[in-house]
Amino acid sequence: MAAFNLFDAEEKALEQAGALRRDVADAPQAVKDGLDALIDAYGRSVREQRRLVRVSDRLQAQLASVNHELGKRKAEAEEALDHLRTAQESLVQAEKLASLGALVGGVAHEINTPVGIALSCASHLADATRDMRKLFEADDIGVDDFERFMATALDTTGLILSNCERAAELIRSFKQVAVDRTTSERRRFELGAYIRETLASLGPHLRQAGHAVSIGCPDGIAMTSYPGALSQVLSNFVMNSLVHGFEPGQIGEIRIQIDQPAAGQVRIMYSDTGTGIPEENRGRIFDPFFTTRRGTGGSGLGLHIVYNLVTGPLEGTVAVECPPGGGTTFVVTIPQSTTGRDA
Amino acid sequence: MENLKIAATERSPEVDFDFKHGILSLRGESYPEDASAVFGPIFGALEKFLATVGSREIRMDFDLTYFNSSSAKALMNMFQLLDRAAAAGASIKITWFFAPDDDTMKEFGEDFSEDLEHVSFNLVAIETVA
Repeated sequence: MAAFNLFDAEEKALEQAGALRRDVADAPQAVKDGLDALIDAYGRSVREQRRLVRVSDRLQAQLASVNHELGKRKAEAEEALDHLRTAQESLVQAEKLASLGALVGGVAHEINTPVGIALSCASHLADATRDMRKLFEADDIGVDDFERFMATALDTTGLILSNCERAAELIRSFKQVAVDRTTSERRRFELGAYIRETLASLGPHLRQAGHAVSIGCPDGIAMTSYPGALSQVLSNFVMNSLVHGFEPGQIGEIRIQIDQPAAGQVRIMYSDTGTGIPEENRGRIFDPFFTTRRGTGGSGLGLHIVYNLVTGPLEGTVAVECPPGGGTTFVVTIPQSTTGRDA
Repeated sequence: MENLKIAATERSPEVDFDFKHGILSLRGESYPEDASAVFGPIFGALEKFLATVGSREIRMDFDLTYFNSSSAKALMNMFQLLDRAAAAGASIKITWFFAPDDDTMKEFGEDFSEDLEHVSFNLVAIETVA
């Protein structure tokens, strides 16, 4: 079999034309000249076709390899994006845990006081009891001694009891918040009471700086939703006010106002009297990793988590407003009963 | 004669010439670096086969998604070969497949069919199964 030739037919035609030209050696000059010109033109045309095929083959090969490269790059970019999303998710998770850590720190601080008082009272009572026992063994208890001991015992047990009760009450209220925060259970709860419990758990952060908190919530708004998510949202708003809103040394005010714009809807308006958010940043505050405090510990995830929780499990919307009088207002609108579609 | 079966590569089409049943097909992409290496064996077998067909019925399917200019020239040569066999008495049905959204492939099919006089040439849109 002869080597494959794309222009086999054309070459055969040229060969035949050449043979024909030799056969017509006796024809008039004009016919021979015409035939020569035709053979020459056809030969040139075939050569040009070969060249064109080579040129466009080369271009098409180039195009194919560019396409191939493009496909590879696209796959790489998609993979990188996947990695990034995973990393972002784990950072968001870490941020949630970190804020849980802050909550636990607050709880420890709150409980420390009553437990400390109860401990020193118990130790004082133990000392007094030991002294009494010595006197009793020596058979040397005077009426004064006994009266003093009775007074000490009454005072200390009273203090121990009230402080232990205080500690138990604190633990009770924190426990629910912490449990809700770490589980994603949908349950019924009373909105006002739950917001108050959450704010109480953030008390140490707020009180240290002397900020005032007021909560205006109609009684008896029964929610069927994710209390943990709501608690996280409020905590993140408070931390945002503390870190970004209030100037150092400023005694700020936080107001949480709740109303029901429509049946089955709850609107939570969270405002602070801080510095507000500059116009140009307002569109980006819910974006992941957007922070104005990168160097000083801001992760840029706090409000992103708020956005995810409100639009995700809470099935609502969140908006930010900066009233002309200063400060920042976040408006969260959520249904009283979620469908649980994100559960 | 021996059937011709060549698996597709990244740059060359799948060849499935079932000479026994007279059903031939080319499928895939074609932009080989060396056109003669790919088309040499195809033409060799096809020419040998067409010399034996007489007035048989032959079906030839082209289901190509991309080809370069050398391949286009080779395809045109192939159509000429088939048209000549049809002129000599064979009943040859060529089907040119293209994806519904691929106007380029459809127009190539229309262009290629222009010079053919003796084969029946059909353009068929088919959804390719990815």
